[in-house]
Amino acid sequence: MSDRGMRRAGTVLALLGLVGVGIVYWMSFFWVSTEIRQGIAQRIFYVHAPAAWTSFLAFGIAALTSAMYLWLRDERLDRAALSAAEGGLAFATIMITTGPLWGKIAWGTYWTWEPRLTLTLLLWFVMFGYFMVRSASENPDKGKRMAAVVAIMGACLIPFIHLSVILFRSLHPEPVVVKPDGPSLPADMLTTLMVSLGAFTLVFLGLFLLRYSLENMRAELDAPSTGTAR
Amino acid sequence: MGYFGQIQAIVWKDLLLEFRTRERLAVMGAFAVLAAILFDFSMDKTVVRPQDIAAGLIWMTIVFGGLLGVGRTFHLEAQDGAFQGILLSPVPKDAVFLGKTLSNFILLYAMALLVVATFMLFLGLELGSSPGVLALTLAFGALGFVALGTLFAAVSAGTSMGESLLPVLVFPLLVPMVIYGTSVTSRLLGGRPVSEVIGNVRMLAAFSITVLFLGAVLFRFVVEE
Repeated sequence: MSDRGMRRAGTVLALLGLVGVGIVYWMSFFWVSTEIRQGIAQRIFYVHAPAAWTSFLAFGIAALTSAMYLWLRDERLDRAALSAAEGGLAFATIMITTGPLWGKIAWGTYWTWEPRLTLTLLLWFVMFGYFMVRSASENPDKGKRMAAVVAIMGACLIPFIHLSVILFRSLHPEPVVVKPDGPSLPADMLTTLMVSLGAFTLVFLGLFLLRYSLENMRAELDAPSTGTAR
Repeated sequence: MGYFGQIQAIVWKDLLLEFRTRERLAVMGAFAVLAAILFDFSMDKTVVRPQDIAAGLIWMTIVFGGLLGVGRTFHLEAQDGAFQGILLSPVPKDAVFLGKTLSNFILLYAMALLVVATFMLFLGLELGSSPGVLALTLAFGALGFVALGTLFAAVSAGTSMGESLLPVLVFPLLVPMVIYGTSVTSRLLGGRPVSEVIGNVRMLAAFSITVLFLGAVLFRFVVEE
């Protein structure tokens, strides 16, 4: 796909996603029924869970493209990793700000060292380290490789850390969607969640494509062959 | 020279340098003793018994003191381009990593034992049910820490921020070491039987060996020019 095509596709996806997010807000405020035990606060779940899903997807893409970059040394893979990590950091920030707001009402406390919360916070810091390494490197190529190493170390050790923390008792709600005997969520809640998942994923993919084509343009400007004006 | 001979040569070179300059060992040793002094004054012994919180303090001293030493792994060699010489030699990069990690491990383990001895001296700590398993736990914890620390010391040495970047990179991934290390240590110090902690010692060992393996694989991408 050409850069122009990618920008167009990114814009379309991001706009579609934003419209979807608007619909999700309408659904979660006016359409979906209120959960009987957790009350009105449970509606934040339709933002929180999709943000979580999107940030894990983004971090997965970043780690995978980082590993492929170290292997194939294609600059485009590094640009993809950077774009995905940036999106992941944004959605992880949404997740760890909406989570405590809900936790205060449902659990009576903003923060608890519960496995999934801990996982998210550490993931956030791994991505933070990824950007610190990139921006503090004097040699850009070396910075890309070192940041890729940070992402891969994170991706390999985060499951281990998650397993370790799980050995302490978990306070997080049990899975209600992905489990062996099918979703146990009422139909309207499931619909809202699925629309929200779709909308957040579209927003992420749109932003990802826009960010990626921006990096392509930046690389083109920086390339010595076209830099006659500099 | 075989693979293990190459690792041995790097370990020997590092330890000889350390023995002659005594730079890192002196700083880490002084840190361990001074931290124990501050810890002693920081707790009101009419409220808490040192025995109850000693495990956490021991591991935190190892982590922070370890950062001081591990952060300077590539410091001496960065001068005069000495590290370029090592990289140009026909030694595989993973052997360089394992050698560096092993020499860091020997330094850190010496410091860890010093930390425990200082706590025994200043805070009246008793070694609990099994000093042998405690020593083994400290060894696995130190190994995981230096493996992670050596890899990221190479990363932070390549940035303009230097060692100040090291905690940001190391701490998030250090959680299992702290969880298993402190839980085993506090139970052993509390006189619990070895059978109760052996599972956690195994998990700690698994973590450390995983990190060591990942570091050996990824190190070449960090030092490559």
